[in-house]
Amino acid sequence: MRDVKAITSNLAAVEMMKVEMLTGNVAAAWAARLADVDYIPAYPITPQTEIIETLAKWIGEGVMKAKLVQLESEHSMLTAAGTASLTGARVFTATSSQGLLYGFEMLYNIAGWRAPLVLVNVSRGVAAPVTLEPDHNDVLAARDSGFLQFHAETCQDVLDLILLAYRVSEDRRVRLPSIVNMDGFYLSFTREPVHLPSQEMVEEFLPPYIPTLPFRASRPVVKGASVLGGHIYTYFKHNIHESMRRAIEVFEEASRHYGELTGRVYRPVEGFYLEDAEYVLVMSNSFTTMGKRAVLRLRDRGVPAGLVKIVMYRPFPSDQLAELLKNRKAVAVLDQNISPGMGGIIYQEVAGALYHQRNRPEVLMSVIGGLGGKYISLEEFEYIFDVLQHPEGRKPNTPLFLFRKDELESVKRALGLAGLGGEMG
Amino acid sequence: MLKIRFHGRGGQGVKTSSRILGRAAFLDGFIAQDSPIYGAERRGAPVVSFTRISKTPITERGFIFDPDIVIVMDETLLNDWLARPLEGVKKGGAVFVNAVSGFPPPAGHDDKVFITYDLTGMALEIIGKPIISSPAAAAAAKITGLISKSSILEATAEELAELDLKDELLEKNIQLAAEVYDVIPTPAINTQESEPITREVSPLEYEPVTHEEVIHLDISNLGNSALRRTGNWRIFKPIVDPQKCTGCLVCIIYCPDSCITLDENNKAVIDYDNCKGCMICLRECPLRAISSVREVRVYA
Repeated sequence: MRDVKAITSNLAAVEMMKVEMLTGNVAAAWAARLADVDYIPAYPITPQTEIIETLAKWIGEGVMKAKLVQLESEHSMLTAAGTASLTGARVFTATSSQGLLYGFEMLYNIAGWRAPLVLVNVSRGVAAPVTLEPDHNDVLAARDSGFLQFHAETCQDVLDLILLAYRVSEDRRVRLPSIVNMDGFYLSFTREPVHLPSQEMVEEFLPPYIPTLPFRASRPVVKGASVLGGHIYTYFKHNIHESMRRAIEVFEEASRHYGELTGRVYRPVEGFYLEDAEYVLVMSNSFTTMGKRAVLRLRDRGVPAGLVKIVMYRPFPSDQLAELLKNRKAVAVLDQNISPGMGGIIYQEVAGALYHQRNRPEVLMSVIGGLGGKYISLEEFEYIFDVLQHPEGRKPNTPLFLFRKDELESVKRALGLAGLGGEMG
Repeated sequence: MLKIRFHGRGGQGVKTSSRILGRAAFLDGFIAQDSPIYGAERRGAPVVSFTRISKTPITERGFIFDPDIVIVMDETLLNDWLARPLEGVKKGGAVFVNAVSGFPPPAGHDDKVFITYDLTGMALEIIGKPIISSPAAAAAAKITGLISKSSILEATAEELAELDLKDELLEKNIQLAAEVYDVIPTPAINTQESEPITREVSPLEYEPVTHEEVIHLDISNLGNSALRRTGNWRIFKPIVDPQKCTGCLVCIIYCPDSCITLDENNKAVIDYDNCKGCMICLRECPLRAISSVREVRVYA
């Protein structure tokens, strides 16, 4: 068993932690630096580039020891990342949106190779139309690849979840890569206070990565061979699935240790004002902060509102989620993504998690908002809770689209400028 | 329904054979289905394809596990542990083997009709290449007893035209198919419509094995490709003339499978267990010290 330090000495350690104003991007760079990564294959893309620039600067100044290489595309970048990880290097890399999709096929390879690297995705809506602002279609496209996924609400989460991701990914019971997601602009370029754990703390938390059968010049090994016929393929896919399911427990174990060291404990799903909540909003990532504010306002007015935040998206914590949502009157799932022709992606997964739950909420409503970084106002959040309290007449399985009248006016003006009619046309 | 399975090697025209037969059956008014399965390997690697012929709609797809007729387009496949061409052939079914001479049915297969014919020799004679898609299809058509000669020739012409075969080569293939159709007998096929394949498996075995640990998809036994023994892929065999060989190493450099070494007298020696018969050595040898002979092996 691991040494558990006395709480008093830990509190002293927490107090000794530095607090700095950091963007999400720089917090991610700090996590890579504290994790003492060996290799960083890179390719720039807005809104992620600052991560790579920060790491390059530190390496240039000699305050960080790592090899940073700029590749010619995200596909090469992810290939380099996966193969380097298999030599036993601790690998960090980052991308966003189009970049993630451009390197996409390598995600499945990296997972199949069991290369436990950490990839930061800075969420950005996928073209067309082109945008730089966030939604989660990019990171959710990777949900079936075999990467673990952690979604950050704050810049602090970015730093902490990257360190937790290394610990869980490299664990011998899991050995799968991780994606840590942060929203572009809302976290990537947003500065807020971030506690930096000391190097000693991180070293205690994160033991060295010991690879299984690593690439060595003197000992060739084939990783991810072709296996025709389907049965061998099934065998290995099933093993990835089992390893992924184990990651929930491994994450909780790692998180307890991290909490002992830093005072911050993460759960796969986290509740906010849940104890007596009858109306609950399920969501993830940076907009959760705004959702929490709406819950507080509703509480002031006596509405028993609450919120559930999904921190770990793969493996999907179905049991934990169902436990938090049982006995509620009505639940809304806010998807900052859209699967055209279907609706919200996470809504479907929450519905699946609740199906076998006794006393599941009678109302499960799908809400789609924040696409392409569209702001969700306090009023819109409150509107979601209004509908939850009065769901009569709403068609189940038809998502509620958050889109305001004033936004429609603005769209009309833009259409006019584009020569597509409207007021200016 | 009649199920025909073709076994051959990449480059022999296995897929085309199944398509010619499928189209011929279609032309004769049957409902037909044809499909191939092959891996990422190359010319010479085992390939398998299928044709189903029926008077009623076909409710099967994919691999034929219980063929009425098997066409073995390369006799060396009879010994191949991956190809296993005789596996599952129905009792009372027919097996055609492209071989230089006949042989008795292998042990355990006396309940099937065996027919042998040297399709490769005939193909070399008429079209000058060891490609036997049309004669193998013609042999299969004749063995079924269902397909007319006119349909197999029309199907041959249509399928090979789709592959952009030039007129002269097309004519030769049709000639080849016609000659084979005439010479191959139609045996009595006495197979039963088989029951759906059921294997005795306990319910537990339907589930993937549960593991408490991570299983890495690694191959660590270095050089295991030599265990594959690809020597039986050859249709032609390179022969080194030691009188002419100067040990210049050119063949060794060009051999894609590292199958050539020098002996103590500085002469090239070919590892026939693994040489696939690609003949690159023959083309590259500056002294023309390597010649080629047809690989003739009799299965017994």
